Amino acid sequence: MRTSVAGVRRPAMPGSRWAAKFGAMPVAKSVAMLAAVAVGAVLLELFDPATSGIFPPCPFRYLTGWYCPGCGSLRAIHQLLHGNLRAAWALNPLTVVLLPFLTYGLASSVLFELHGRGLPQPFLRAAWIRALCAAIILFGIARNLPMHPFDLLAPGATLLR
Amino acid sequence: MFCPQCGANNADTAVVCAQCGRNLQTAAPAAPLQVSGTVQPPVVAVQNYLVFAILATVFCCLPAGIPAIVYAAQVNGKLQMGDVAGAQVASNNAKMWCLISGGLGLAWVGIIAIYAILIMVGVLSGIHAN
Repeated sequence: MRTSVAGVRRPAMPGSRWAAKFGAMPVAKSVAMLAAVAVGAVLLELFDPATSGIFPPCPFRYLTGWYCPGCGSLRAIHQLLHGNLRAAWALNPLTVVLLPFLTYGLASSVLFELHGRGLPQPFLRAAWIRALCAAIILFGIARNLPMHPFDLLAPGATLLR
Repeated sequence: MFCPQCGANNADTAVVCAQCGRNLQTAAPAAPLQVSGTVQPPVVAVQNYLVFAILATVFCCLPAGIPAIVYAAQVNGKLQMGDVAGAQVASNNAKMWCLISGGLGLAWVGIIAIYAILIMVGVLSGIHAN
């Protein structure tokens, strides 16, 4: 499979002058990205979102009462950082599946900002991305259904058994 | 404007692309890359922001993250058809929705933080009042 490698570094989008300036600072951008990930990881390592109040609730769940596809993802990452794959899977299997790809993609973005060239990535056909989008939405719907076995997809449902 | 051939950013008044020399005045559509059922990966890479779109959907704000993913798919769809200019437009939209989702997520964190501070201040002043 051929890989599409990020080509020329694209200039900043037209927007505010601050954004244009910031977009033209690849080092600042990648440092900010890495810092955000590092701070998030340290906070999630130290505090369990299930019991500590320092993490904001999911806005979608707060406003609608329904689970979103990402509900349980912070708790899942906390469990992953503590080596509990089973608990993480029970809290949000979608996050567990996507996290390696997201990590790789973020690393690629940082490298792209610094070197103008990211990590090799297969070209994803539009249909695959649409399928992924549909899967995320369907997962979000399914975990709200009150009947078996869909209720097992609710965050942490299988941990209570 | 972005050169339809190499994707380089040029001044809107540019006659030819500064990078590859393509004539920018006559925007002839690029030949489709799809030949006999096989999709060839395009030579030009246009950012689809898919990683950030998924991050935005799962960690920030679902309603604004979904359009970002849809536009990310559109970027690659246009690239499959050889429409680099169209892909660039979709790319800008994908980026915009990622930023909207990120902004809403940050705003939510801000609202919750202010709420928490107000409760703390309220509790403290309550203690003092008693």
